[in-house]
Amino acid sequence: MMSNTIFKKIDWILILLSAFLLIIGLMAIYSATFATHGSEYFSRQLIIATIGFIGMLMMAFIPFRWLQRMSFLFYFVSLILLFLIFLIGTKGYGAERWIVLAGIKLQPAELAKIATIMAVAAYVADYNVNVNRFRHFIVVAILVFLPMLLIARQPDLGTSLVFLALFIPLLYWAGLNWFALFILVAPVITLIVSFNFYAFLVWMIVVSAILFLSGRKPVILASIFAFHIAVGLFTPVMWNQLRPYQQKRLLTFANPESDPHGAGYQIIQSKVAIGSGGLWGKGYLNGTQTQLKFLPAQHTDFIFSVIGEEWGFTGVLLILGLLLLLLLYLLHLAVQVRSTFASLTLVGIATVLFFHIFVNIGMTVGLAPVTGLPLPFISYGGSFLAVTLLMMGLAHNFSANRYQR
Amino acid sequence: MHTLERSNKHFHRIVLAVFFSLGFVLLAVSFIRLQISNKAMYQRQSRNNSIRAESLYPVRGLIRDKTGRILVDTRAQFSAAVIPVSITAQSLRRACEILGLDTVSVQKKIKNGVGFRPVIIDRDISQEQLVAIEENRIDLPGIITLEVPKRFYADNVNSPHIFGTIGEVNKAEQIINPIYEAGDLVGKSGIEKKYDLDLRGTKGVRYLRVDASGKTLGAYDESQNISPVHGNDIYLHLDYSMQQFAESLLVDYRGALVAIDVRDGGIIAMASKPDYDPRLLSGKIDPEIWKRLIEDENHPLYSRAIQSAYPPGSTYKIVAAIAALQEKIITPQWEATCNGSFRLGRKTIRCWNPNGHGTLDLYGAIKNSCNVYFYKLGLKIGLDFWSKYSKMLGFGSKTGIDLPNENSGLVPTREFFDRVYGKNGWTRGNLANLAIGQGELLVTPLQLAQFAMILANKGVYYTPHMVEKMYDFSARAFVNFPKEVNYVKGISKDVYDVVREGMHRVVNGGTGWLGRVPGIDMAGKTGTAQNPHGEPHAWFMAFAPYESPEVAISVIVENAGGGGAIAAPIARKFLEKYFYGKLIARPVVKKDKSGSAQDSLLFPIPNDSLQPMQLFLPDEGTE
Repeated sequence: MMSNTIFKKIDWILILLSAFLLIIGLMAIYSATFATHGSEYFSRQLIIATIGFIGMLMMAFIPFRWLQRMSFLFYFVSLILLFLIFLIGTKGYGAERWIVLAGIKLQPAELAKIATIMAVAAYVADYNVNVNRFRHFIVVAILVFLPMLLIARQPDLGTSLVFLALFIPLLYWAGLNWFALFILVAPVITLIVSFNFYAFLVWMIVVSAILFLSGRKPVILASIFAFHIAVGLFTPVMWNQLRPYQQKRLLTFANPESDPHGAGYQIIQSKVAIGSGGLWGKGYLNGTQTQLKFLPAQHTDFIFSVIGEEWGFTGVLLILGLLLLLLLYLLHLAVQVRSTFASLTLVGIATVLFFHIFVNIGMTVGLAPVTGLPLPFISYGGSFLAVTLLMMGLAHNFSANRYQR
Repeated sequence: MHTLERSNKHFHRIVLAVFFSLGFVLLAVSFIRLQISNKAMYQRQSRNNSIRAESLYPVRGLIRDKTGRILVDTRAQFSAAVIPVSITAQSLRRACEILGLDTVSVQKKIKNGVGFRPVIIDRDISQEQLVAIEENRIDLPGIITLEVPKRFYADNVNSPHIFGTIGEVNKAEQIINPIYEAGDLVGKSGIEKKYDLDLRGTKGVRYLRVDASGKTLGAYDESQNISPVHGNDIYLHLDYSMQQFAESLLVDYRGALVAIDVRDGGIIAMASKPDYDPRLLSGKIDPEIWKRLIEDENHPLYSRAIQSAYPPGSTYKIVAAIAALQEKIITPQWEATCNGSFRLGRKTIRCWNPNGHGTLDLYGAIKNSCNVYFYKLGLKIGLDFWSKYSKMLGFGSKTGIDLPNENSGLVPTREFFDRVYGKNGWTRGNLANLAIGQGELLVTPLQLAQFAMILANKGVYYTPHMVEKMYDFSARAFVNFPKEVNYVKGISKDVYDVVREGMHRVVNGGTGWLGRVPGIDMAGKTGTAQNPHGEPHAWFMAFAPYESPEVAISVIVENAGGGGAIAAPIARKFLEKYFYGKLIARPVVKKDKSGSAQDSLLFPIPNDSLQPMQLFLPDEGTE
């Protein structure tokens, strides 16, 4: 039966989770904007959400092979769009960068996220690739860092960090050995702890212990250790070389509350909004912080503050639960699917979503710096919503074709 | 291909899942800290210590005349408004008592209001009402007063058509200019509209601590505030005493007067009557008054000087003369004989002088405004040359004055006639009519004054403008607007000399003798335009002094009779005031014996194909 096969192809868990989250997002956007703009933003988001959702349903019926084959072309196109931004891009508020193609406003950086994931996945799946070999590792690195550098140049630091966040989980899933992972991650920690002598000391002991236990050649171990010491010594020196305003900018990035009139204002207002929501919230459309417009960017970056204020901790837990469920289900699918391409893409998607969720919600409670990363499914904004639903569409397709190699 | 083993995959999945879950736990813990542990503190902050950024509205720029006299400035007006979320039935009832409003209708008005956005329930409240509301603050939760600037006109200042009005911005205006925010007051007409971006100034910001009900608790941080910038003051070219005088001359008429300084195009006076009191449309507009103004058949809302177009009558004979001379169709010595009537086909048309003017050359024809001469001349010129010169001399297109909604008038062309009457549907009669300034031709008083300026300067003219300069409060300096100089190409000095001489004779013993200012040599031309609304329109245009002109003027009085009798004396009085600062006592004048010093009443050709002419008022939607 035709209808039966169609029915079987639909992954109800994915569909229902996405639909719930979209509805919650639309409700929050309506609450955040109706006092100032009526239903204007709500309607625009509703249109994109509806089209995107239908698109996501349809994507289950695209031949699985095509997706893998199109990956490099897709990657190439998004690189070209990123280049085009320097020529014909228009600047929005803050860090958004648009180009207008055939009357449609696009943020190529959003497209580049999924394109990069698919390109890495296709590369690892197509060729006889072992990421533990230096040659192959370098290709993956180039695939990830090329768009990242272009985006950092826009400059859109927040979005470029998404690529950094992608890098290690993708390699991990592709089978990179733990020693290589350690080499990649450790210098970042060294950089951070180098501001405190005792933390640095403890960390160096940990590093040497791990190196010792790895049983590699002493020459390699010694040079790695020397590198870490050098990072630890030079960071404070470099820091002192910076001008005061540059230091301030970095400090504000790390701790927004140190600047109560700029980024700190947003964080403080957001915390007041969330905190005053309490366990049950102030009720839908009744948040005073939201409705009095104390919350900046309350329909985009700070949409979760609106939810925290009006829906309270109960609502927050519900949404966090739905989001975590989605991520865990994506990981579950990544194990289920037989194709390496699909598996890696799913892990990439889960990572991107997790990074966005963590940074976006984290910044509303003062846990993460204010970077302008939107919240998947919920924040206002067409490009990112479209890309989120594209990712869900891919997941839906992989779910439908999970037995294909 | 290097792929993960299935068991390996499971392990990796667990590592990532634990990592993700830890992140979510971290988030959840942060929310617990905010929403459960420190809930009370944040709720207090939300209630008491919220910061709101409030726009500070700048003072709208003043409008002054060239001497610096303040004509229009801005003063505060107060409105009463309701905050929908915090209003109570009792407080609303009290407020309605104080304001003298009907509670039911106010409830209907605020029914759609939501949240904290104030809904204005009464504009322009009195000082007593304001005090009553402020004193009863505590008993009136949800009622606030808002300060809204209102335009204020100095004593004896009228001229609504020049200044125009301001009002709340609408959707269309916001789309055209995104700088406008909802609720802004913007110029709707006149100078207020044309120079709105200069007058409006720049908004400032003030940070206030407000509580959750929107009530202000005090300043937040003074150093963060940004002061608004005063809008630019606009300085008009005119001296308002001249404008007042011009308006007084037209007080019992329907008509307009435009006087231009021919040396720079500045408007010396621009009066249009009837008009209305601009105070009526400033601040709260009484719907009754608005309805009355809209429905008044004298159309007081329209500036006749720039928005109304009329048939120009005999003043337009000068255009025919210029076309004929420049195209060498005639010489000034070309003569025609007027027997008091003229046969065209089967029709006989008469000159205004039933006895006829005898044989006239061009000078005589202009001086006596002989219709028969110009009928004959018009037929010799032909429609194409006539249209071409009309357009060259600024008719049929906007002058570009710095006021909105200017009418461009109408100059019929061959295409126009073909379209209206069909090809060959129009006759030589139409053409003859045009030559004496009748028929479909329509001009505005401003265009005619501009034409007088062109004649005065022998081809050189400046774009007419109201505004001379402005004072920029951010730069703290005067900004002068550049003057635009233009030149009518293709008409030689000799041609101007001939028609100027004809116009000189008009004032000296011709039809316009009543327009002559003692002691000032000048030139002019009368016109008496037939129209379907009753008595003919009286026209007069002039420039003075003759040799080194300073002023060009045009006057129209609707349905008043002859141009020489009605319009010319108005122009004379204005010029006397201009040159001497007062009116000149005149001896009792004996009637000119020649008999030529009468009004040149026109008898246009009765032409069946002519559609009834209409007084061109924009609101009537003619054409």
